[in-house]
Amino acid sequence: MTLDRTRPLFVRLLLLAFMVLVPPVGLLTYDALGEFSKGLVPELDKKAETVGRDLAASIERAVGYGIPVDHLVGMDEFFTPVLRSNPEIRYLAVTNRDGRILYLTGARREVLEPFYAVADFDDDAERVRKSNLGDFVDLAQPISGKNGRVGHLHVGIDDGFVRGRLMEIVIDIAVVTLGALLVAVEILLFVVLVNVIGPMREVGMVIDRVRRGDFSHVSGSGSDDEVGHFVSGFNAALRYCDDLFRRLEDYIDEVKAAHFDKSVVERVGEIEARVRFLFRFSRQGQPDVITERQAADIRLPLFLFVFAEEMSRSFIPLYIRDLSVPIPGLSPDLVMALPIALFMLLIAVVSPSAALAASRLGSRRIFLMGLVPATMGFVLSAWAYSVYDFMLWRGITAIGYAMVTMACQSYIAQISKQERRAQGLGVYVGAVLTASICGTGIGGVLAERVGYRPTFVVAAVLAVIAGMLIYRLLDTPQVSEQRSSPHLRQYLGLLRNWRFSALILFAAIPSKIALTGAFFFLLPLTLMLDTAVDLGDVARIMMIYPIVVVTLSPLAARLADRTGWKAGLVALGGVIGGMALVTPLIENSPQMLALGVVLLGVSHGLSASPQLAMIPDVCWTECRNIGQTNVLAFLRFAERLGSFIGPLLAAAFLPFFGYYDSIVAVGAISLGLSLIFVVLSFAYGSGPHIEAELME
Amino acid sequence: MRQDGQTSLAAGFLGLPSARSVRGSLARKVSLALVSILVFTLLLAAFFAYYKFESVYSSLVQSRYSFVVFTVKKKVEDSLNLGLALRQLRQVQEIIEREKARDSQILSIQVYDAQGEVLFDTDRGAIGTFVGSGLVDAAKASSAQSFGATDDDMLIVGLPLVNTLGKVEGGILLRYPQAYVEHGVGGLLIQLSRTTAELLAVFSVLAVAGLYILFGRVSRKLGSMERTLGTVLSEGGQAVPEAGGDPFEERFAEFVTKSREATDHIREATEEIGRLDRLA
Repeated sequence: MTLDRTRPLFVRLLLLAFMVLVPPVGLLTYDALGEFSKGLVPELDKKAETVGRDLAASIERAVGYGIPVDHLVGMDEFFTPVLRSNPEIRYLAVTNRDGRILYLTGARREVLEPFYAVADFDDDAERVRKSNLGDFVDLAQPISGKNGRVGHLHVGIDDGFVRGRLMEIVIDIAVVTLGALLVAVEILLFVVLVNVIGPMREVGMVIDRVRRGDFSHVSGSGSDDEVGHFVSGFNAALRYCDDLFRRLEDYIDEVKAAHFDKSVVERVGEIEARVRFLFRFSRQGQPDVITERQAADIRLPLFLFVFAEEMSRSFIPLYIRDLSVPIPGLSPDLVMALPIALFMLLIAVVSPSAALAASRLGSRRIFLMGLVPATMGFVLSAWAYSVYDFMLWRGITAIGYAMVTMACQSYIAQISKQERRAQGLGVYVGAVLTASICGTGIGGVLAERVGYRPTFVVAAVLAVIAGMLIYRLLDTPQVSEQRSSPHLRQYLGLLRNWRFSALILFAAIPSKIALTGAFFFLLPLTLMLDTAVDLGDVARIMMIYPIVVVTLSPLAARLADRTGWKAGLVALGGVIGGMALVTPLIENSPQMLALGVVLLGVSHGLSASPQLAMIPDVCWTECRNIGQTNVLAFLRFAERLGSFIGPLLAAAFLPFFGYYDSIVAVGAISLGLSLIFVVLSFAYGSGPHIEAELME
Repeated sequence: MRQDGQTSLAAGFLGLPSARSVRGSLARKVSLALVSILVFTLLLAAFFAYYKFESVYSSLVQSRYSFVVFTVKKKVEDSLNLGLALRQLRQVQEIIEREKARDSQILSIQVYDAQGEVLFDTDRGAIGTFVGSGLVDAAKASSAQSFGATDDDMLIVGLPLVNTLGKVEGGILLRYPQAYVEHGVGGLLIQLSRTTAELLAVFSVLAVAGLYILFGRVSRKLGSMERTLGTVLSEGGQAVPEAGGDPFEERFAEFVTKSREATDHIREATEEIGRLDRLA
């Protein structure tokens, strides 16, 4: 186990976490399911008995009027509404004394007949008989006429009803377990990096210097555990060497200054030169302290913050619908889309200023400043009165979100050396996507149980915890050297590069339109049209997207690097994304929408990394002129315009097409634009493009 | 890591400042994190399981009672459809009393008119009183669907009474004790609490043991390296990584050697200067 590398220790720790977390949850679930089944079945029986008793009484009344039980009419019409309003009851049947089926609604005769034919219904005349018939539980209620028993009314409970409810629990708990495991990964990664790997990396850096004879640094880590003890001993050894050298240096100075024999002074000078040649010590009078900051320092707070924001992902449109009030001149659908569009617009507008502020004032300060509006936004969203004030609170949250995310990106950019920038951004993207999986899943399930408003409060609490972590972890302000930001003209000049413009117009923007218009806005509303779908289901379907993206992204990045087929992957991703949204053309069902979500995840998983990786080649000159970070920031800004347009476009389609077809319409636009990119991608070529420079 | 030469060296002999004492071990820190995650996960899982059960169970109980209300509603509406006024349907009192008698959990069944005046009630003393305006509004709003409400420690399920013209003539309310649902789900809550506590105890111990084993290795390795460093610096010898030692240990061994080399060299230089100083 190498102490200064994350993987060996972390993998062992993760295995342990898996062994400690998954089995107890599995056992708890198993136990809960047993109890659940035990509690639910008697209540189902009671209900079936109540229903059976009432129906049997009605039939007895008819029989009492002298109508033979096998001559009753309209029994199907009598049974159908009862079955419709009681989904756990699968069939209703009437048999005569011999067990022959006279009337049956909800099941096939051949399933029940063999059983009824051999059953002895004469036994225990007044008792309700319960029997298991394959997938059904049959409760037989005696029907009596003036001359005694005339037959039985059978109420068939769907055995799958209990199984279905049990499965819902299993899925809920599976989501919780997945979320808990991801949270465990984040927390353990953080604990290991901060307590072991980080300090040992610093020690490793000092060791490498010492191996070259450089004793000028000590490690800056300090903690009260074994690592801290080791680092303290390690530093003590270095300080001891440094102290010996200082004493030697003092002695040499003393001899040089006071000795009258020139040859001795000369000889001492030679010794001094030899020592200085072989070993290097700090010129400050004591060893300098090495403190290595890492991108991972900010990972856990970022994870918690994005987790908080993503908790409302699955229900925001539903919450807005509940708060919706008419706004003169705007359709109700557009009113529902406005808070989402405004949120995206504000992120786009505030992000550049937030990035600039982070580089000037320090990431820590901007993170903490951003948390104030974000937390306020979460809290006030919980107490929103109407869509008007909700828009305001979401706007405030968006400002905070932009500040926090930009502070994190700025921190990573500052501390990552050029060659490790991608690794640093990987930390950012990893934290965001993992938080997205957990936040969407747990937030949706939580909102289903406790409601939308308390879920916002939980989000606010998480944001505060993120702030506390940042406050403790980043104790010094990180301020980068002041660099002048490019002018607007230089940014707009980027659009003269047709490859860049095409990438924005036909790849980045359509992808965001699909994401915010169809996925964020339309999907929850459309799924909830199905009465069998609840909020937990919406959340579970929505969390498929980040799971697919997080799985595919690294593979796509590797494929893009290996093959250089970046434009091709972006084009392919775009087409798949467009096709994802036209799946309702096959069938208007939640299953098709779920398939669409998978495909959308595949689309963005394939295209997101290659899209960024294309920039240094496509904008080779511009990256040299205004910096790659600024080019990427402009790309982000431009694609966020797509995020803004998406919900509004979707809302504009709603009155004309309805929910399912609006998704198709958004998909058609996205697909059309992506197909243009497919054609253009053949002209992208490979390697850096320097036309712009030549033109200048 | 082992060292050649003498062992067992106290840093103090060398003049090194003593290393900071270990107050919170790594295993303890990570145990705290992992056990917290375990607590959080189990509580959340138990919470979701309980609330799912509670929601399914209570909706099942409610749907059973709403069927009872539906039965009464059908009978009352059949009479209304004959053109009789709700107030005149004397047989309703008998119907609701019969339904109440069938189920001991039913606390009361009330039939009220469009203004909310109770016309029939299983508790005959309540006839002539008025139901809350919220319940009257709920009946008017739901028209065909059953509605639910709570009243102190009672749960209410109701249905509107609608005449042939679709006008809401009043409503039927059935009250049943909340304690019935609480009793039904209480068993699961106790069982879940007990199981959660047991699992938490067992797996916390496992987590802590696993972490002490895992970080024990780290601690031993660090302790060994630290001892080697002290020994080599004070008494000489060489740091030799153990067989199969990792690259970090190899680098550390070089560090130890280099540090020893530096101290030796500086000492020799100091002694040499001292000799020159004394000679002159």
